[in-house]
Amino acid sequence: MRSLLVLFLLWLASPALLAQSTSQTSQSEPSIQSLLDRIQQMEKRISELEEHEGKGLTAQTSNPALPAPADRQPVQATASPSQALHSEHGTSTTEVREAEVHYPSLQIRGFGDVDFQSTDEKESSSGFSMGQLDLHFVSPLSRKVSYFGEVTFTAQPNTYELNVERSFVRFDYNDYFKISFGKFHTPIGYWNTAFHHGAWLQTTIIRPQMIKFGGTFTPVHIVGAQAEGSIPSGGLGLRYSLALGNGRNATFSKAGDSGDVNNNRAWLASVSAQPARLYGLELGSSYYHDELTPNPGVNFREWIAGGYVSWTKGRPELLAEYENVHHTSLETSQTFNTTGYYAQVAYRLPWQENKWKPYYRFEYIHRPTQEPVWDITGTSSVEDLVGSLVGVRWDITNFACFKGEYRKFRQATGTPSVNGAFFQSAFTF
Amino acid sequence: MRAYWKTACGVLMGGWLCLCCTAPAVAQGHNDVALVADPDIPVSTLTLAEVRKVFRGERQYWNTNLAVVLLIRAPVARERDVVLKIIYQMSESQFKQFWIAKIFRAESATAPKVVYSNDMANELVSAIPGAIAFVDARDVRPGTKVIRVDGHLPGEAGYPLR
Repeated sequence: MRSLLVLFLLWLASPALLAQSTSQTSQSEPSIQSLLDRIQQMEKRISELEEHEGKGLTAQTSNPALPAPADRQPVQATASPSQALHSEHGTSTTEVREAEVHYPSLQIRGFGDVDFQSTDEKESSSGFSMGQLDLHFVSPLSRKVSYFGEVTFTAQPNTYELNVERSFVRFDYNDYFKISFGKFHTPIGYWNTAFHHGAWLQTTIIRPQMIKFGGTFTPVHIVGAQAEGSIPSGGLGLRYSLALGNGRNATFSKAGDSGDVNNNRAWLASVSAQPARLYGLELGSSYYHDELTPNPGVNFREWIAGGYVSWTKGRPELLAEYENVHHTSLETSQTFNTTGYYAQVAYRLPWQENKWKPYYRFEYIHRPTQEPVWDITGTSSVEDLVGSLVGVRWDITNFACFKGEYRKFRQATGTPSVNGAFFQSAFTF
Repeated sequence: MRAYWKTACGVLMGGWLCLCCTAPAVAQGHNDVALVADPDIPVSTLTLAEVRKVFRGERQYWNTNLAVVLLIRAPVARERDVVLKIIYQMSESQFKQFWIAKIFRAESATAPKVVYSNDMANELVSAIPGAIAFVDARDVRPGTKVIRVDGHLPGEAGYPLR
């Protein structure tokens, strides 16, 4: 029984023994160090022998196997550590060759969606509709040159409309300077360059009204040249984008693909920050300038100023964007300001493998009652848009999702609100 | 009967002491994931934020003439789990969606290359200019460049990738 008591006392004292073992380890460090030195010398000799035998695997063309496995050793804390030999299966030169990029190297990815809607709007009918079928092309042409393209097929009553949404070639000099030529999504704000046409990428079913495709509030596309890159700024993570190109077409929802409508190019400057300490946060602002010719002899100067903040880690996901579109008549010097913003919040639920993401968005657009540019281009329907939507996204796989959404929108002051239920199956392939 | 109890207690005691003595050794270094790179890259130390920038494709060039080539282990590997948890702070599906979106936004022309073993990662970082990868610290090959993260090498106290 006494011996049991001794054992019990020993058990109680084990943490103290353990604490002492650290100091014992430090005392025995010289001998461990000498062993490590010997191992290092042996490794060096093995490496020399291997080099002598085969001059390294990368130079081999006929032998697909790597050197044989050997024992594992812990990593040493040296500037150029000589580590333990590997022990897994060998890697063939074929794998090395396969891992290298070949030029050109075209990759195609598709996006699609199928939608259902039902609203209480008198003139609309409920039912299914095909969303956009979107094909995206990427092809590195060399180490520093890449091509990007995007085409969409949009369902029309009698046919499908094919549109080239993006098509540009980009030359990378380094991280600080990349220049592209072609047709882009205008880098105004966040949404327009973050989600493009793939409905699967965005949390909600539709884009905010202020940047909707076919809308006129924001020029969604620009045709010309764009320079972009990082700005050396340490942990602030600053980036810039400068663009020069054909601005809005005479039909304001279109870009000047086939040429500008006047002799004044549109230009844009934007700056964004992704602070390293606040991983997931992005802030940005942009300025866009153009001269508009909605009708021959009728000219306006256009300034669009905007800012955004996004937090995209999913718990929560926050997006908020603001834009002010300023028009000045070059004939009468009258000025007009139209303001739009939205704020969206989503939260990826931690249950069921994070597949569920409920969301809410509020959006608002206000334009003056008299706004000659919008009146000319037929966008007077959006006078005082106020809308909310609430929904949930369910990722059924990594590449497909279902979304269900309830919307309540009022297009103008004095008009009734429209309520609707919307469903979407969106996917990438 | 007393002898039986003595033996049993002795065995338990011995086992307990062995566990106590060996556990810290396992915790220190043996689970670390080393950041290995092409020896020619002009970088030997990175902060965790810089590693994140590189692996998120925000830094794409080591210098004007040397592009970053990202190598990442295929799913299920522990090294991939560590990278997703600490570097990307994403789940597997979020990681896949992140790279699809990144390429779709034209922010990168290629996704990270998938490697199927630490051996393959070791081989490719020495064969592909500008390559960088994560491997189990015990599998780092002689002559491979190991990048310090936040000033620490695998096995050192404060090393963040474990």
